[in-house]
Amino acid sequence: MATQQNVNQYAKAIQAQLSGIITPVPVYANFNRNFATQNDFVTWQLRNVHQPVYTGQTQSVKGIDTPTFQMSVFSTTMENSFLNANKILQALHGYSGLFGGATHGFQISKADVVWLYNGYDNEINLFNIFMDCTLYIPT
Amino acid sequence: MALPNKVLPGFSASLYCQASATPTPLSTANLSVYASTSALAVSANLLPVEAIPAFGQDDAMANFNVAGSRQSDKIPTQAAPTSMTITAAWNPADANLLLMRGDAYNGTIDRTFIISATDGTNIVNYAFNGRVGQFSVDPNPTAEAKCTFTIHPRGNQYGWSNNT
Repeated sequence: MATQQNVNQYAKAIQAQLSGIITPVPVYANFNRNFATQNDFVTWQLRNVHQPVYTGQTQSVKGIDTPTFQMSVFSTTMENSFLNANKILQALHGYSGLFGGATHGFQISKADVVWLYNGYDNEINLFNIFMDCTLYIPT
Repeated sequence: MALPNKVLPGFSASLYCQASATPTPLSTANLSVYASTSALAVSANLLPVEAIPAFGQDDAMANFNVAGSRQSDKIPTQAAPTSMTITAAWNPADANLLLMRGDAYNGTIDRTFIISATDGTNIVNYAFNGRVGQFSVDPNPTAEAKCTFTIHPRGNQYGWSNNT
């Protein structure tokens, strides 16, 4: 039996975990340059929350959740952008254990990070790096 | 209506197993009695399986040839109820999966299993007595760990029933 996990808990844990990794660089959910005014900051977006459903009428017959959150690492300098992305990569890729700290955390079996691509946005004058992180959560 | 009179999605079927480490399986007659089988098809007895595999009866026949006769004859013979290899998401503490593990270790425990399919209102039950012949765990890291077990039904010990 596997109950549906609470996505609100995911959000709190992601925010806490990312903040802990790259402190003092600020971490925001979903916002962009219109909101953040710092030279370096990270935003994240959660997607692909899905526990596979199995046969029968009982709702809790499900598999594990493997949600993915995208991290967008912004910086006014290319080097800081890469350094912050690397810091996240080093801390998160392959991580197993308490995710999200003592207050909001839960156990994950593995965090799997994919470094997607980097770029530069001419309108907001920021270097950016995009990464995906998939969590494997025992349920 | 006696039987679900609709084409059912595969999702409509559930698998239940009789409780207890030392169960007394239903009699062959009771495997076809809805009141007997539905009493076992309760949520506490649910096996958390991914999908119900093919169930029913196997094919078996003998082929007779007579010299001088152009056509042979195929005679149905002793057909076993279909063995079922079942995959479940593995929760090591799930009480019913622990029963399957214990049955596989023992090898001779007869237990009644029920496959119950419903359109939401009416229910059809396929009940059989069987033994568990395999229990293995596949911890492929791309998804949840799966445990696979195979149930071999005992010969002549299955029945169909429905709510009325």
